[in-house]
Amino acid sequence: MVHALNEIRRILKPSGKLIDVRPLEAGWPVEIAAASGVVEAGRLVDLPVAVADDEAASAAMREAQSRGWFVKEREEQFSFYYYWDTPSEMKEFMETEWEGFEKLEEGVFNTVKSIWARANADAQVRVSVKLLITRWG
Amino acid sequence: MSLQKDPEGNEKKYLHKFADFKNKRVLEIGCGEGRMTWKYASTSNLTIGLDPDRDALRVARADSPADWRGQVHFTNASARNIPFTKETFDIAILAWSL
Repeated sequence: MVHALNEIRRILKPSGKLIDVRPLEAGWPVEIAAASGVVEAGRLVDLPVAVADDEAASAAMREAQSRGWFVKEREEQFSFYYYWDTPSEMKEFMETEWEGFEKLEEGVFNTVKSIWARANADAQVRVSVKLLITRWG
Repeated sequence: MSLQKDPEGNEKKYLHKFADFKNKRVLEIGCGEGRMTWKYASTSNLTIGLDPDRDALRVARADSPADWRGQVHFTNASARNIPFTKETFDIAILAWSL
């Protein structure tokens, strides 16, 4: 990762900016969202591989900063939502796309199904992924 | 599957809050199928999407709007060896790829 950051520094103009956008493991909330409101059903469990990836990325940026390659100018966090029409579709996605990184515990899934089944017809299931965006000069 | 990603457009909003892409030369590292690319590339002078996944790049090229094809290009490469000369870009984006 540090080598890649040095490559990025090489191809940037002296006044260039690096924008780093990445998810942060934070026990992302699973919610039922409808026009009438949003209800949290529980949270995903961050698996060790995902947490280690997070830590490695942060360590690489710290190393780049300590070598004087980049200076942090601005940083914020925001939510990036994934929506599904049904709890089953959400579960299927997680089992294929997020396997090894995020775990949907059975109890949380049952709560999602229960809340969703009682909600209005427009209700969707969503996961609020926490994103970090940082500008480096 | 009914998956929708970021229908609120938060990622696009924050990208434009953090960088002015107008007339800039942009390198996006880990562009994948171009999901993020389409959120800013139209305002740039030139955008290069970089990714080691050839299949993802095939999708990105196929999805590339016809009127952007002179200004958006996709390259099969890794961030460990970026195939451009020094001081080429105004902005580099790490797209969920660090």
